[in-house]
Amino acid sequence: MTQTDILVLRLPNDIGGLPSDPINRADHDLEPWEKRCHALADVLDFHKIINTEEKRRGVEALGTELIGNLTYYERWIVAFANILFQKQILDPGDLEHKMADVEARWFRYLAEQRDPHKTKDAAGQPLPGPGSAR
Amino acid sequence: MAEAEHHKHNHDHDHPHAEIGETGAPGYYDIMETAVRELLIERKLIRADEIRRQIEVIDSRTPALGAKIVARAWVDPAFKARLLTDGRGACEELGISFYDDTGLIVLENTPDVHNLIVCTLCSCYPRPVLGLPPDWYKLKPYRARAVYEPRAVLAEFGTIIPQNVEIRVSDSTAMVRYLVLPKRPEGTDDYSEEQLAALVTRDAMIGVVPITLEGGVVQ
Repeated sequence: MTQTDILVLRLPNDIGGLPSDPINRADHDLEPWEKRCHALADVLDFHKIINTEEKRRGVEALGTELIGNLTYYERWIVAFANILFQKQILDPGDLEHKMADVEARWFRYLAEQRDPHKTKDAAGQPLPGPGSAR
Repeated sequence: MAEAEHHKHNHDHDHPHAEIGETGAPGYYDIMETAVRELLIERKLIRADEIRRQIEVIDSRTPALGAKIVARAWVDPAFKARLLTDGRGACEELGISFYDDTGLIVLENTPDVHNLIVCTLCSCYPRPVLGLPPDWYKLKPYRARAVYEPRAVLAEFGTIIPQNVEIRVSDSTAMVRYLVLPKRPEGTDDYSEEQLAALVTRDAMIGVVPITLEGGVVQ
């Protein structure tokens, strides 16, 4: 069997039986966004928008390079975006604009944080966080 | 985007600001998650309160739930029989609901059989009764090797299974999850159910370690 045969027969996630390293038992607590991402997966599954098998297929479809370079939840959120584009639920342009909005909100918020006396914005509204609202 | 509209999304947020201070500016994927979530909420496909609620559910599921199930099975043979026949139904008897459509199969360790669970393709795990899986369960070394060299994998956890004991490795799926019912350790005949539950660890319910009398902390 040549090396390329193996690539055809095994999708990137199909790793049962392959040689690998010793187990590293180190663990980490989830970042807040990772936990939100996990909750999002559960809610999408509940609403039958993206189920577990679709999620796994979406992660597989990222391909070996992305799978190798992105962390677990990074792969999930990119896979969700791709699946939602494919299902025409979201538009890539809308996501791009929304991400720019979210980032701008963050920078505004962080700038306001540096002035601890500021509790309201120019419109007199209380300063919120930029998007961790659930 | 109008200020008023953006505030409408954020007025009822309840995350502590300290969380933002510690982490500084968010990364690319953090921003992506927020953007995807907000777009889906705007399109009324999901609701913000559903995400909040699911985070609470995720936080509420820990190995203590699995430990309670194991301890009950150890003291109540009829419950154990029901657990081994209908894992999900027996959990629901103890008030442990499932928030998804997954099934649960409970695998009993005996003097002749030692069970180990894995998900070779991704990270399927009995989250309703154990909470979130550890990183090692989701990474390649365990997923690749557990199915063909379980004794070597177990040895890395300090667990030696005698050669006359059969090791069964169960590969979890999107629809069916597994939980190991570890052997009750010797010397616990006079333990209360609570004391028994306190011995049961997450890793024992995955099958990578046995229950010992020293194990007190539910991981």
